[in-house]
Amino acid sequence: TILFLAWLAGFSSRLFAVIRFESIIHEFDPWFNYRSTHHLASHGFYEFLNWFDERAWYPLGRIVGGTVYPGLMVTAGLIHWILNMLNVTVHIRDVCVFLAPVFSGLTAISTFLLTRELWNQGAGLLAACFIAIVPGYISRSVAGSFDNEGIAIFALQFTYYLWVKSVKTGSVFWTICCCLSYFYMVSAWGGYVFIINLIPLHVFVLLLMQRYSRRVYIAYSTFYIVGLILSMQIPFVGFQPIRTSEHMAAAGVFALLQAYAFLQYLRDRLTKQEFQTLFFLGVSLAAGIVFLSHQPTTWVSFFFDLHILVCTFPAGLWFCIKNINDERVFVALYAISAVYFAGVMVRLMLTLTPVVCMLSAIAFSNVFERYLGDDMKRENPPIEDSSDEDDKRNPGNLYDKAGKVRKHVSEQEKTEEGLGPNIKNIVTMLMLMLLMMFAVHCTWVTSNAYSSPSVVLASYNHDGTRNILDDFREAYYWLRQNTDEHARVMSWWDYGYQIAGMANRTTLVDNNTWNNSHIALVGKAMSSNESAAYEIMRSLDVDYVLIIFGGVIGYSGDDINKFLWMVRIAEGEHPKDIRESDYFTPQGEFRVDKAGSPTLLNCLMYKMSYYRFGEMQLDFRTPPGFDRTRNAEIGNKDIKFKHLEEAFTSEHWLVRIYKVKQLDNRETLDHKLRVTNIVPKQKYLSKKVGSQ
Amino acid sequence: MAALSVLALLLLLACGGPRAAGQKRKEMVLSEKVSQLMEWTSKRSVIRMNGDKFRRLVKAPPRNYSVIVMFTALQPHRQCVVCKQADEEYQILANSWRYSSAFTNKIFFAMVDFDEGSDVFQMLNMNSAPTFINFPAKGKPKRGDTYELQVRGFAAEQLARWVADRTDVNIRVIRPPNYAGPLMLGLLLAVIGGLVYLRGSNLDFLYNKTGWAFAALCFVLAMTSGQMWNHIRGPPYAHKNPHTGQVSYIHGSSQAQFVAETHIVLLFNGGVTLGMVLLHEAATSDMDVGKRKIMCIAGIGLVVFFFSWLLSVFRSKYHGYPYSFLMS
Repeated sequence: TILFLAWLAGFSSRLFAVIRFESIIHEFDPWFNYRSTHHLASHGFYEFLNWFDERAWYPLGRIVGGTVYPGLMVTAGLIHWILNMLNVTVHIRDVCVFLAPVFSGLTAISTFLLTRELWNQGAGLLAACFIAIVPGYISRSVAGSFDNEGIAIFALQFTYYLWVKSVKTGSVFWTICCCLSYFYMVSAWGGYVFIINLIPLHVFVLLLMQRYSRRVYIAYSTFYIVGLILSMQIPFVGFQPIRTSEHMAAAGVFALLQAYAFLQYLRDRLTKQEFQTLFFLGVSLAAGIVFLSHQPTTWVSFFFDLHILVCTFPAGLWFCIKNINDERVFVALYAISAVYFAGVMVRLMLTLTPVVCMLSAIAFSNVFERYLGDDMKRENPPIEDSSDEDDKRNPGNLYDKAGKVRKHVSEQEKTEEGLGPNIKNIVTMLMLMLLMMFAVHCTWVTSNAYSSPSVVLASYNHDGTRNILDDFREAYYWLRQNTDEHARVMSWWDYGYQIAGMANRTTLVDNNTWNNSHIALVGKAMSSNESAAYEIMRSLDVDYVLIIFGGVIGYSGDDINKFLWMVRIAEGEHPKDIRESDYFTPQGEFRVDKAGSPTLLNCLMYKMSYYRFGEMQLDFRTPPGFDRTRNAEIGNKDIKFKHLEEAFTSEHWLVRIYKVKQLDNRETLDHKLRVTNIVPKQKYLSKKVGSQ
Repeated sequence: MAALSVLALLLLLACGGPRAAGQKRKEMVLSEKVSQLMEWTSKRSVIRMNGDKFRRLVKAPPRNYSVIVMFTALQPHRQCVVCKQADEEYQILANSWRYSSAFTNKIFFAMVDFDEGSDVFQMLNMNSAPTFINFPAKGKPKRGDTYELQVRGFAAEQLARWVADRTDVNIRVIRPPNYAGPLMLGLLLAVIGGLVYLRGSNLDFLYNKTGWAFAALCFVLAMTSGQMWNHIRGPPYAHKNPHTGQVSYIHGSSQAQFVAETHIVLLFNGGVTLGMVLLHEAATSDMDVGKRKIMCIAGIGLVVFFFSWLLSVFRSKYHGYPYSFLMS
């Protein structure tokens, strides 16, 4: 029951975006995943595996089958197929939008199973409840965020559960189940590398701690062989597991394990001692510092995503290590490695979240066990936790909860000479208040920070009413309905997936960014003047150009703000034609007003952004042509195009689409026409007239 | 007549004299300038200039040397992080030049700080820092004599390449060897070696779970308080408001943090953890009831108190967060 309630809580808290806006795919990458799933649902599995997408990266195309992790698409497709077989007609889009929340419930269940293996059932239930609502996980699994992480965390937890089970029991059955789960994880997310390094590390540390046993040997040997073969079945992974360095640790530990087992078999104690010292030195030297200096994490991010769990999980870790056994070694290693990676790169907070939930649950469960009486048997933790769970769903009912707790405590007759019921009540109540704060925090964070579809922008006026800016979809649907089906659209790569997904048109470059030279060509076209850009566009068969312009509403993520990146990327491939310094003023500033560099004021991106903008006066206080994002009056107001014409501008001028004109039927001539109606100035006079 | 011509000649000589003296003065001024610059360079590779020195030595002719000038704002209240980093690289470049075998008096490195020479900034119509400009021996600085910091970055090697481009003087950048890495490694190996040697026969101390638990706890607490961020971004310890003199240990926004702040957070997290452990110990240990009660109260007190404090710190950084517990 509690697990079902946890699932429900997790599911509901992820639905803010759907309730406020509509059931739509968010962001950028999910649009590609959705399109692939749509292709899978329409054409079948083998078509999907062999799919060559000629509507992306025109004219190169993209081999989708070999460059994606198919787990997500296959899962969604399978659910869709099953539902349709049962005659429940659901559109594939709805399956995709709601997949992540459904899987969050499954994650809660697998976390419960894992924690139960590690500690006890009470801790398991607490862990399931924590992970259902913790913001760190919600951020990547709201409804509409149709991305790999949504199912990958479920696969991760389930694989870990099966691994712990197989180490505990030493049976081949559990290990094979673990391998199948690992196969699913490899198909789902590139983060499978974490598993394939953590499990060997676990085995290695067990060896160091002299906890070697036959169970470990059976579990790891089977896992390594079968897991390796299964992981190589995914086309994208291919032969990487035997070639790249990330997978070498697994192979190394496998070899080491075989050697160790052999030596154990021979019972050579002296060699083992030498091994020990060798291990120490090896471990200390091999402490390679992976300096992922991308985006380190401030403590605020930890607290924001994990709230009280980040303070209490070290206590859980302490308890785990004090009562160590084989599986708790695993969770301790998991915690330490995850906390390091989360510290260096904020995106990896997601991998830290499950272990934090588990360890905090262990800590809380330990405390609750002691303070709710010594007669805590199996039936009591569930009752306790159900009151927790209910309270989390009704955060406002403080008095109800207190009443419930008092009732439970008074029901249990305790006869131990302990700390006395009063202190215990106080402690319990305070802990429950902390947990209630956690639940409230999670809801607030989810509602405010992680429920924005980013395709639809919302702004709030002074009186609180909401102003929806739906320009993106307006423009994409215009493209979908008013252009030829085989039209090719050129835009910067950020919008590629969305154009392909919503407008269903061929794009030149998209978020996959696998071909830098192609992107550089697009960048060069955007940065050159109109004639040079026209040549490039003709060579690429471009029919429409799409840009984002934020000057009317003050949107700061528009193409002019990204423009320098276009120039830099173009300069990387074409250094003779494009020079970044040309776009700056002599003082080194990037300005769009009259003082701006002439190269900038005449380049294609500038002209497309500000066409007709010079006539537009937004506010009586500012002159016409005042760019709200750059806070400057634009320099070049009289813009005329020779090869482009404006096709569409959305309501708030956010998206602008231009049509590329065909070549003229007649070439204009450069030289002057010959004049044939010359009237001579002088009449010819005969010389026969006598002179003086 | 003859007297007149002699007088005229004398006058001419007199005129020529000063002129010659002037020429000689000019020559002396040039060599004087050069020798002064050389003297300053021998004291410090990068010559600090104010407006007056700048006008005299860099702007005013004659010059047969070029001067690379870094215009910067290094005062702490200017809060220009890039200026500090660029200054370090510039120092490395100037030092490499000064101690190189190809050192001549054809090129000098100088710097002008905004607070010392703001008139220079105004004169050159400059309003961004840091900026590197090459003042060639002949003529005014051209477009390419301004170093494109945005494009190339401020690494000493890039600066050296630009200097070579503009002045044909090749400088080989030699960085002072960084001993920190090998030193730490050596220390680590020494510690391990010592341990193995001293306790080689008896490795039981490794089985002490409390020790391992404590070590793991320290590591985890360090990470979650944001030490990696400090290591990578290098923030200041705390911030002293120049106007009011008030020291703030907590950064006002959620995008950054001070070192002092991370220590505070580490303390709070540790406090909560300790509280939880105490609670557990209080319930399970075998001491007499009174002590256990105290431990229990201490434990829950720690948890609640430090958590509330942590929450209030979080609130001060995350404006608009509506919840608080016990203290606001």
